[in-house]
Amino acid sequence: MRLENKIIERYRQLFPKETLKESSARTGIQITRVYRLFLGKPMKVHELEAFEKAINEGMSTNPNHSRLTYVLEEASALLTNEELGKLADYFERRVENKKFVRSYIRPLFQETNIA
Amino acid sequence: MRGLSSLERVVLECIGNQHLSYEEILFQSGLQENVCFNIIQALIIRGVLKSVKGQYLINENISPLMMEEMNGLEARKAESLELMEAVLEKDYDKIFRFQKVAMDERDTKIFKAMLSNLESFLKDAHQKAEKNIPLKNRHIVFWGMGELLPMMNQIMKGN
Repeated sequence: MRLENKIIERYRQLFPKETLKESSARTGIQITRVYRLFLGKPMKVHELEAFEKAINEGMSTNPNHSRLTYVLEEASALLTNEELGKLADYFERRVENKKFVRSYIRPLFQETNIA
Repeated sequence: MRGLSSLERVVLECIGNQHLSYEEILFQSGLQENVCFNIIQALIIRGVLKSVKGQYLINENISPLMMEEMNGLEARKAESLELMEAVLEKDYDKIFRFQKVAMDERDTKIFKAMLSNLESFLKDAHQKAEKNIPLKNRHIVFWGMGELLPMMNQIMKGN
């Protein structure tokens, strides 16, 4: 997946119920342009930065976010590869379960395989 | 290795060897509608489930690699931990005891015999009620014991 698609996906995970109008207000990008970017159109550098900034701001509202980032940095330096693998597995499972539960709106460029 | 989430396992256990409709899976599992739908979709994408004439069944041609990923030791351990954690985090109707117990050799033997009785009781109870009690109404039961010193060493080594 391209970097810009990843950014959009993370943005949509963080703000799943946000309307195009709200996304436009948050990022300062025109509403029609936001719609196109959600469709997977290539981004300009300033647009990528605007989405990254919104993501960082959104995550910083969670007080445990910086704590987790700090602990992960320490863990990366101290723990063995095997221990890190176990932590990664644990996080992955928590994230997957959350994805099942959350009525997560996929970016428009992602096709869903529905049986 | 992602393994299989406890939620995914519940859906697979509901289906078992049968062909079930979405509504039947929903009833058996007790999952919320959107969660059940998302899980089924994820399992189909992973090639574990397939859909035939509106009914879901487990794919019989799952690759050995995928089988190992789903049923391997690490995956089962992670799944058990997930459920044990859920029991610990329950804030009502919770039964959980965790104690460091001093037991002499004789009492250790008695305790192990009691555990063995408990296991056969649970096996019989399960066989008796299996057909009438849907998966969502079953209980999670776990037990275990270990010596403290080797476990402390294990923790120091980083498991």
